[in-house]
Amino acid sequence: MKTQLSGPPSPSETFEPYETMRPIPLGVLMIAVALALWGVVLLFDNSEAVAIGQAERADVLADQPARSDADGASLFSARCATCHQPNGSGVSGAVPPLAGSPFLAGRAEVPIAILLRGIDGPIRVRDTVYDGHMPSFASVLSDEEIARLVSYLRERFADRPAPVAAEMVTALRGELAGGSGWKGGQELAARLAPELAPQPSFALASRAEADPATMRLVNEGTNGSWACASCHGALGQGSETVPRLAGLPAGYIARQLESYLNGSRRNESMAVVARSLTRQERVALGDYYALLRAPSNARPSLGGDIARGERLVLEGVWDRGIPPCVSCHGPSAFGVAPGFPGLAAQHPAYTASQLAAWVSGERDNAQQKLMNGIARSLDDADRRAVADYLATLPPVPVAATKERADDRR
Amino acid sequence: MNRILPLGVIALGILAFATLMLVIGPAIQIKSMAPTPGLANYSAQELRGREQYVAQGCVYCHSQQPRSADQAPDAERGWGRAAVASDYVYDRPHQLGTMRTGPDLFNVGTRLPSRDWHLTHLYQPRAIFAWSIMPGYPYLFERKSRAGPGDVVVSLPAEHRPAEGVIVAKPAALDLVAYLQGLDHTNPAPARAVRDDGYSERGEPR
Amino acid sequence: MIDDDRISAEAQDSPKQEGAGRAVRRGVIALGGGAALFVLVSMAFDLGWLRDRGEPVKNREAPQAMHTFFPPGEQAIPDGPAGDAIKRGQAIFMNTRMNAKDFVGNHLSCSNCHLDGGRKADSAPMWAAWVSYPAYRKKNKQINTMEDRIKGCFTYSMNAQNSPTGGAPPAGHDVYKDLQTYMHWLATGAPTGKKMLGAGYPELDKPAGGYDPARGKLVYDAKCAVCHGSDGQGQRDLNGRLVFPPLWGPDSYNWGAGMARVNTAAGFIKANMPLGQGNSLTDQQAWDAAAFIDSQERPRDPRQKGSIADNAKANHGGDSYYGKVVGGRQLGAGTK
Repeated sequence: MKTQLSGPPSPSETFEPYETMRPIPLGVLMIAVALALWGVVLLFDNSEAVAIGQAERADVLADQPARSDADGASLFSARCATCHQPNGSGVSGAVPPLAGSPFLAGRAEVPIAILLRGIDGPIRVRDTVYDGHMPSFASVLSDEEIARLVSYLRERFADRPAPVAAEMVTALRGELAGGSGWKGGQELAARLAPELAPQPSFALASRAEADPATMRLVNEGTNGSWACASCHGALGQGSETVPRLAGLPAGYIARQLESYLNGSRRNESMAVVARSLTRQERVALGDYYALLRAPSNARPSLGGDIARGERLVLEGVWDRGIPPCVSCHGPSAFGVAPGFPGLAAQHPAYTASQLAAWVSGERDNAQQKLMNGIARSLDDADRRAVADYLATLPPVPVAATKERADDRR
Repeated sequence: MNRILPLGVIALGILAFATLMLVIGPAIQIKSMAPTPGLANYSAQELRGREQYVAQGCVYCHSQQPRSADQAPDAERGWGRAAVASDYVYDRPHQLGTMRTGPDLFNVGTRLPSRDWHLTHLYQPRAIFAWSIMPGYPYLFERKSRAGPGDVVVSLPAEHRPAEGVIVAKPAALDLVAYLQGLDHTNPAPARAVRDDGYSERGEPR
Repeated sequence: MIDDDRISAEAQDSPKQEGAGRAVRRGVIALGGGAALFVLVSMAFDLGWLRDRGEPVKNREAPQAMHTFFPPGEQAIPDGPAGDAIKRGQAIFMNTRMNAKDFVGNHLSCSNCHLDGGRKADSAPMWAAWVSYPAYRKKNKQINTMEDRIKGCFTYSMNAQNSPTGGAPPAGHDVYKDLQTYMHWLATGAPTGKKMLGAGYPELDKPAGGYDPARGKLVYDAKCAVCHGSDGQGQRDLNGRLVFPPLWGPDSYNWGAGMARVNTAAGFIKANMPLGQGNSLTDQQAWDAAAFIDSQERPRDPRQKGSIADNAKANHGGDSYYGKVVGGRQLGAGTK
């Protein structure tokens, strides 16, 4: 062998070329070891993340029954106190008192019927007339919850300790299904409680059905764009990122359609729609949706912390420059026409995506850029919390026809 | 080549191990999984539409798997809650997708419920989004001089309308849109559902 | 094994034991080096050398003044009779027209000017007021207790003359007790007798060129009218409940209120308005807007005995439009 290698090249017939075994470079080994270590760490990390995620969801779930198990007192403070006040005193000239109200003292059916359908007209409580707009809680409270709430209200404010059975609510819900808000105390008294009469009369303002041309826009669309109802639903109730329109101020809706046109609110699909509408049609559509009353179909869906959302909406975080939502969007987030839309019962995905859009600049049509700074001060978890909380609120009741003229400007 | 046998054995071993861990194991894990509560099976038309979805290669640009809030702001984009395994029980094969050249479509039926919108968009995406890079699918439509009974006419902005006649949808387009409209996985997922929790961190507000 | 044999045979430089030793050494170096590499890279990650880890931009502004006082939150209200009084006081503070209705003659509440339920710094917070009284006030040239001070609010800011009883609550009334209990609770932990940061409204230097209601109208229309309405009468929700308070006219504060002085209003506006955009206006804009608002007619000054001119001399020095002629009309006659 030695002679073969050292002598002149005379390749052997049997020689097989081969490579010598070269050891793997140390560097590669080190990288392999480091990667393996990383893998192990990731495995632990991931299993921990899974455990945390499951625990958090279990917590959320554990919270939810607590919410639906809420006793009458907490239902009252969460659902009634923002308007009727924690002491049940109401608000002078706007919200009737619960304390000493004959509507609570009489038959239990009366408060149940009010909660189920809301009120859309004047009522007289303790010799004062209130031009009332109360939301319907039918879509946000279960029969059991309404029963607990009414029992609590009657015991606390009318000294009637006898509890109300959920069956009564169920029966009444079936009986009253599909009705719109009570046309003031008059209709209530006539239907359920004659002893509450006399109630202020309510001349049913002829809620002019929108003209046929507007209804065609809503239901069939135009040559160049789609029917409103094909996305926003037959009642304007929306879904996910498609906003609920029912009950939004007419002027606000018309202004949004203009924003799609001038680009201050970016949404290509809506821009197509807005381009196909005349100014009169935009105003007419605003008027139409402002007067629609639709039950809430929104529900918390972003996994937000509802208690945190409630705090942000009702109290704000002043040292971060976040005023409470309700300080401009009105108590119970019903909105203040025409500038400030109602937020109640809006779909969480829509609310959160709009808050994100204020930050990114996709949407920049707030009056005085009021929303821009507020949205920037909210972080991702805040946005989800606020959006989820607002979805638990009852929908905006319908404003009387007199506001229509104001909005139109 | 030397030592083919041990090489082959090792290669097959690795393959078998991978199959066990990535295919057989998960299959056992999800085999008996019930659908997410509220999830409906596809209708016959939706299934035909699903075949169109596969045939047109939608999966190459669109995923069907919203991520959790820890991973991506999908919920705030309106793409819906994070998908869980039981959302896919009726999907054979699933259309998860790996590319997000376009948006996730797992809940497109709830955020874009309009049939007419989808028809316009499929015919010519740039009729709505001037910047869209999605291809149009004009061959799923046909031009007619006038719409016959039962024809579905596509609404188009003036600049995309044919000079004369109307664009009507062929059955394939209607099937595909029915499938897209039916994509709705927004029902709440059970807490114990099998899902990806990749980046959950302790103490992080959710 | 054939190859190995051949190599070692060819190399002929080391016996088998040495080869094994080298393999062990290589293994140790690989393991140690790998671990070190892993540690190094993870350190580099943590210290941010490799890339920005995508931390969300810290968009939360630091609390406006780190050194101001933080009053207790609502959930800290104790149980028992004291807690009940705090809650009653809070209810009066937030919804004065309803919960102290006998003594309120306009549509305002305490919380309209003392934001966040009297908590917010630079909007005359109650925790700072509580530790500042009793004190001598030039306004009535005597020592004022907290009750006296609150009485002043009812008399001027709430225009109690127009209330059902025609005046502020009588001395020792429960309204004072409840409000003071609430304020005392808000001041939990506040140092007495020390001027606290964020107390009162900020004092703005008067702009060199003075202030001008006409310029103020432009500011008002651009920045204020969206909420307070172009007529300054505020806005109501669909139930007729006031969401944005009226700034002048019969439902607003009267000529004797602190807010009717341009300097006070300017300080409030600068620090707090538009809501959520505090300190966004320039000093000049704040002064001008305040001048515009405070040069509108409002309920008469209850201190007025004789003529407007006499009262102007006695009680309205400095930055007040009381008694001055604006737009051809002498201000101060009051509304009805």
